[in-house]
Amino acid sequence: MRSPRRSSAKASRGNRRGRTWVLPLFLLSPALALLLGIVAYPIARAIWLSFHRLEILRPDLTQYVALDNYRGLLQDPVIRIALQNSVVWVVGVVVFQCLGGLVGALILNRRFPGRAMVRGLALIPWATPSVLVALMWTWMLDGNYGLVNDLLVKAGILSRFQPWLAQPWSALPAVMLADVWQGIPFFAVMLLAALQAIPEDLFEAARIDGASPWRVFRHITLPLLLPTILITTMLRMIWTANYMDLIMIMTGGGPGYSSLTIPLHAYYMAYKRLDFGYGATIAIVQVAILAGAIVAYLRQLRSHEVMVQ
Amino acid sequence: MGRLGWLRTVLLCLGIVGLVLLLGGGAGSLHAQAPTVVRYWLWLDDPTEPMFDQLVKEFNANHPGIKVEYQLVPLSEYHDKLVTALAAGSGPDAGRFKDWWLGEFVKLTALEPLANSIAKWVGRGDVIENLWNTGKITTAGPVYMMPHQFITFYLYYRKDWFTQAGLKPPATFDDFLAAATKLTDSAKNQYGFGLRGGAGGQDQWLAFMVAGGARMVDAQGKVVINSPEAVKVNQWYIDLFRTHKVAPLSAPTDAYAQVLGAFQAGTTAMMAHHVGSSVLVTQKLGVANVGVLPIPAADPAKPATMATMSGNVVFAASKQKEAAFSFISWLSETTPMDKWSGSRQGQLPVLKSVARLPRYTENTFFKVSLDGANYAIAWPPLPGVGYVSAQAWQANMQRALLGQISSKDMLDEIAKALQR
Amino acid sequence: MRRRSLRAAWGAVKLWVPLGAWLTFVLAPYVWMFITSIKPPTELYTKTVRYWPGQPTFEGYRLLMETTPFLIYMRNSGVVAISTCAVALVVAMAAAYCFSRIPFRGKGVLLFGFLVTQLFPSVLLVLPLFLIMRSLGILNTPPALILAHSTFAVPFSTWMLTGFFNAIPRELDEAATIDGCNRLQIFRYVLLPLSAPGVAAALTYIFIYSWNEFIYALTFTADLRARTLPVGLQTFMGEFIIRWDLLTAGGVITALPIVFFFMLVQRQLIAGLTAGAVKG
Repeated sequence: MRSPRRSSAKASRGNRRGRTWVLPLFLLSPALALLLGIVAYPIARAIWLSFHRLEILRPDLTQYVALDNYRGLLQDPVIRIALQNSVVWVVGVVVFQCLGGLVGALILNRRFPGRAMVRGLALIPWATPSVLVALMWTWMLDGNYGLVNDLLVKAGILSRFQPWLAQPWSALPAVMLADVWQGIPFFAVMLLAALQAIPEDLFEAARIDGASPWRVFRHITLPLLLPTILITTMLRMIWTANYMDLIMIMTGGGPGYSSLTIPLHAYYMAYKRLDFGYGATIAIVQVAILAGAIVAYLRQLRSHEVMVQ
Repeated sequence: MGRLGWLRTVLLCLGIVGLVLLLGGGAGSLHAQAPTVVRYWLWLDDPTEPMFDQLVKEFNANHPGIKVEYQLVPLSEYHDKLVTALAAGSGPDAGRFKDWWLGEFVKLTALEPLANSIAKWVGRGDVIENLWNTGKITTAGPVYMMPHQFITFYLYYRKDWFTQAGLKPPATFDDFLAAATKLTDSAKNQYGFGLRGGAGGQDQWLAFMVAGGARMVDAQGKVVINSPEAVKVNQWYIDLFRTHKVAPLSAPTDAYAQVLGAFQAGTTAMMAHHVGSSVLVTQKLGVANVGVLPIPAADPAKPATMATMSGNVVFAASKQKEAAFSFISWLSETTPMDKWSGSRQGQLPVLKSVARLPRYTENTFFKVSLDGANYAIAWPPLPGVGYVSAQAWQANMQRALLGQISSKDMLDEIAKALQR
Repeated sequence: MRRRSLRAAWGAVKLWVPLGAWLTFVLAPYVWMFITSIKPPTELYTKTVRYWPGQPTFEGYRLLMETTPFLIYMRNSGVVAISTCAVALVVAMAAAYCFSRIPFRGKGVLLFGFLVTQLFPSVLLVLPLFLIMRSLGILNTPPALILAHSTFAVPFSTWMLTGFFNAIPRELDEAATIDGCNRLQIFRYVLLPLSAPGVAAALTYIFIYSWNEFIYALTFTADLRARTLPVGLQTFMGEFIIRWDLLTAGGVITALPIVFFFMLVQRQLIAGLTAGAVKG
């Protein structure tokens, strides 16, 4: 926090010292207004809910139950499965989206005829509405006449069709495949943007020196992309932790609980069992876990001076 | 400074376009204040059909003091959106409703009891008598849901395959299993029965359970779904998939699209469903190849099947209850009922006058369905049914089908969920 | 002579093979959706997988345009997405500039706070947000969705843009200050041009998020005044009838505006933007 860079920067901006809060306030106020005004209330309410047993439409029956919901959570056998699934879901999906996106960014960064159109087309998975992504992948993975099975059997990799979405060990990976597909363009765009910041001369120099493409990637591209990769991955993990559309439509969390994740479980508790207090509790516990993970992650990044504060 | 100029232009364009569209699009909806506005929610099977829009226009024209405004909500989101709106105090005045949610919503005191209004309604004598019960919580209590369209479950079967294999259409559980086994050839990806373990499969499961002699609740209203008899019937159902393997491997998570698709593609020989799919099925397979039967019973002397009602309700928070009721009761009068049942969205009419029409009596699918109505059993009006039908049944059925839990465990879980 | 053409050939292979493989994976499901949309209903469920329809038909597209309010849904989606882009981008750019270039106390905490708002599932926030929208009187109008979408888009874009601004060396700011520029001018003439790729990426993200967002669109809209594409598409799935023709045709078309939008925006993703900037 007290790096030499910072104090010298401060020193060079001598004259405005007295009113250093005016400009930040002005610039941040729209964002802050939005967040405080619109988001803070729902968050506060969610926290309040977790300490109550809410009966929708019956305020007379709503009661304060202190930590009962949290205690119930610890005894809920489904939570453990959901947590496990959530971790696999988040880490697995984001890692592969990032890899796929990195490959895409590197390809789309090169010059070739029709690049503008190809870049546009590359966005299609991300541009397709989630309900259709889910429906199409469900169809493609169908155990009786799905495209994927057909191709795998024709290629000799499988001997018979597999009901991917009906087997506990393959249901979640199947949905993950659909989500990886959907998310690759996101990383491709973010990393492509970051690639533009790498000066051409660095590549020129490396090429003159006779470095192989792999060495260029390993020693120039990757290190310079790393900050963006790390931040984007973190943001994407947060978003993915709460993303349940695909799972809901493709498997509903099944078979059994094998593809149930935390937000889906919270949703079922709140909207199907009409236990909003418990649903809020589950969501808040996830928030706490994610917040903890982020703090640890950011501390790691800061120690490597990735986010220059 | 080409870069900057570009961005500025883009932002400016975005701003102008956005503003124009916003102003143009948001332009006026000044309502005439005079007629009472009734806000009605519904889901439709096929929103491109103008049937309902025409009905609303007709009603508005014939009832100058009332103006019905409707909102179309996809069925998969209907329950959730209703809960949110009601909780926020912004619910509709009336809406289409499913018997799955009746117990739940009555417990929340969200529905208006309609006994008085029905007593004054001219059409009440025309409703098939025992269908009133689908809208009640207790047999002696008031009606909360106006019957409108219902279905009873029956069994589709491939007449051509049965003839080819020399099989009689099954009338008992044993016949059913024998036929399914004979028609299953997994090497050719052909199966006897399209068991549905995925979303929405609870209805057909209940049909087989009651046909097998199990009951959800006894005469006193006590939950008996986990009784020893029920456990046995459930085990039989599970064994169709696990032991006898007469259902496709994807059965545990098959939902409507998959089960219908499998039957249409010629992957399965039999499918349990109802009149709502009759047009689709015959379109694809041809009327000659598709037959329909009552659900086979374990004991042929005690047939049973499952019925579910899509009715109309008036919400307790409404400020226009009378006007709302006049609309929903109008929907259950002869001509509107016939229009609805005869349309692409059509299910079974609840009116005796309409059920007598040749259009229905001469249609095998309607006929078998209406016959089944005589001994059909619906979900009990317990508050927990909403949760069971939305998730608890599915998760536990799948676990049982996969052998993770026993038949008894599954039914215990469901009993627990029902009694919440 | 031979060596050069061999090298050229190898260069082409190194480009087109990975590109082809990557594009195939990326486009296959969409192509499958397109093929499904031109299949007549009788060919949808067949015993063996049919890759190409026997009798392709564009009836689904015609019905989509003529019998459904698809174009109105698209108009609404456009209004909401474009407005969210404008609002969220401006707000996020201001906030990101502040986080990147202005030292002040509590910056870390505030930035972290922005992130915390993203940690909550929208399902939980729907009901309280509904109450807020209702008290603001904007239910069933585009502003309700613009506001709701901004609450999600702003924190995310702020984080991203802060990262992109941070990547621009402060020496440039200082050089500009020495040249007599004030903060606004530094922003306009230094930061903005150099972060154009980041801004383009942020715009893309906001647009796509808003265009495809479902749960807020479902809850806050009631009819054609504000209903957007994702909700409209969902109505094609009924209790017993699934209009695959309308659904897939709708899906094919819904993705296209984004493709065209990005084909324009991607011009900002051109290397050489920042080359020489440090030296210049």
